[in-house]
Amino acid sequence: MMISLTSPIETRAHRWPAGVKLLALCGATMGLFAIQIPVVHLLVFGCVLGLYVLPGYVFFCAGLRQLKVLWPFLAIIVIWHVFTNTPMVGTVIALRLLSAVGLANLVTMTTRLADMIAVVTWLTAPLRRIGIATRPLEIGIALVVRFTPALADKGSALSQSWRARSPRRANWRVILPFTILALDDAEHVADAIKARGGL
Amino acid sequence: MRLFSRGTDHMTNTALDLADVSLTLDGKSILSGVTLRADERRIGIVGRNGSGKTTLARVMAGLTEPDTGHVRICGVDVGKDRKAAIRTVGILFQNPDHQIIFPTVEEEITFGLTQLGQDKIEAEAGTQRILEKFDKAHWAKSAIHRLSQGQKQLVCLMSILAMSPEVIILDEPLSGLDIPTRMQLMRYLDRISGTVVHVSHDPSALRKYDRVIWLGKGRVRMDGAAAPTLAAFSKRMTELGGDDDISDLAD
Amino acid sequence: MERNIALIALFAALIAALGLIPKITLGFGVPVTAQSLGVMMCGTVLGARRGALAVLLFLLLVALGLPLLAGGRGGLGVFTSPSVGFIIGFPIAAFVTGWVVERWRSAPLTLVAGLASMFGGIVVLYAFGILGLALVLGKTPIEAALLVTAFIPGDILKAAIAGMLTAALAKARPDSVLSRA
Repeated sequence: MMISLTSPIETRAHRWPAGVKLLALCGATMGLFAIQIPVVHLLVFGCVLGLYVLPGYVFFCAGLRQLKVLWPFLAIIVIWHVFTNTPMVGTVIALRLLSAVGLANLVTMTTRLADMIAVVTWLTAPLRRIGIATRPLEIGIALVVRFTPALADKGSALSQSWRARSPRRANWRVILPFTILALDDAEHVADAIKARGGL
Repeated sequence: MRLFSRGTDHMTNTALDLADVSLTLDGKSILSGVTLRADERRIGIVGRNGSGKTTLARVMAGLTEPDTGHVRICGVDVGKDRKAAIRTVGILFQNPDHQIIFPTVEEEITFGLTQLGQDKIEAEAGTQRILEKFDKAHWAKSAIHRLSQGQKQLVCLMSILAMSPEVIILDEPLSGLDIPTRMQLMRYLDRISGTVVHVSHDPSALRKYDRVIWLGKGRVRMDGAAAPTLAAFSKRMTELGGDDDISDLAD
Repeated sequence: MERNIALIALFAALIAALGLIPKITLGFGVPVTAQSLGVMMCGTVLGARRGALAVLLFLLLVALGLPLLAGGRGGLGVFTSPSVGFIIGFPIAAFVTGWVVERWRSAPLTLVAGLASMFGGIVVLYAFGILGLALVLGKTPIEAALLVTAFIPGDILKAAIAGMLTAALAKARPDSVLSRA
């Protein structure tokens, strides 16, 4: 079972409809890129941090951890704008980046996987109305969730088989048997689907 | 025909020396206080699936380091000294498809030898030698995907034996093989002239072994001669067969 | 039909799983994740259409909140981060790579797959990646391009490896290499 990035800590936002949150996020992101005033961005970022603090310390730390991956980009921005003596522009870019990613992650952390899939189902309804089947997409999503951990385990086993015979870490050659296993699994799954009525 | 000879220079060090080995993974205790010292030639480890025996095999091969205690195979700390570890201990896993990395037999066997530091010529010679010892010289250029499960297992065995380890760990190597293939593979295993540690959930594979350790829920339940240990194990397994713990979920 | 869905889903799972296994080395001892290699191989093995669909399915699951990108990253945040250009470029790169492999049949597969991976996985991918980077970081495309030049040699190596892996795969499982079916 794959653990999604939805936070186990319940917030009020968990109960809001996913579609509304996504729409709001689109609007907010567009707004962020339209505004160039540093003070506004500072305020916005403060609000975003506030939203992370509201559900508690653990939630806040989880959110910060997700933002940590941006540090190389922030470093580039700081260095660049210090060197070109354009600190205000740099501040806008950095804060905009943090707010945009922060808000997007907030939606992810407060929306369950099932609710997101429901949005996808809703969005693809027009296709069904004109006769295009969306069942394959649903099955596809389920298959990826089902097989990613199994394939990852097999990949680890292959890496271990390498490390059992070498003091060095595995190189690219280990991807070949890994790909073959994926292909074989695909054949078995196709049979399993056919055996239960097919698509 | 002896499959390979290893001098008795390792006799100054105990083959298996585990002291108070414990390991917790994902919050679950997999091994608890496992202590064992063994020098017998044929050692069996028996236990149910989920008893921790595969993890123990991995710990003995140095692929996983325990949280507590030490693991020394022929004096080598296999978790920390990987270079010496690959010379000392080899491990055969359950599923050859999760083990074989290269597309042809000779490439798979040569790999381990080059990892030991041999140059291409030495490694190819070593590969030829092991293929000939097994009377499989004609397999050299064969494609792995054309081999049967039993044949693939044999390739895995040859790949490990080519590296001349002092101890070989077999993790359920006979699973899923048909009766004739099991019998034939067991004959090859019987002829290994180093220390063999065979991990299995099936007592019949370990009957002729010098010493058997019963691992249950990560702990050593019994440790001694094959016959009494396996008898106690089989009796307990049959008792459990009357239960319904198949209904229990892991979390 | 079932086989197509299964192959697309399993290759999407493969890209995800490549982000989960321990890092591999490319040969100079530099550890890299194999994930972008997976994207190239979707194109070289499954062909343009199915390869792109596999990558799109993978991205859909990332958007839905699954931590499938290397390093356990995922969620909507990646679509507003500076890497957004590369993320969007992935399925297009797979499509272009697959298109080249499907059309160019007169040369050995290793060469074709390798060059296709370079064209799709570097030229096309970086075009999108640089534009995205420029947009999010507020720089000109040329400035953004300077930032990513360091990664190109490693990706050229990955493309060559994708070529070799595809050719080896075609020998081991000829029926499964749909780009040459």
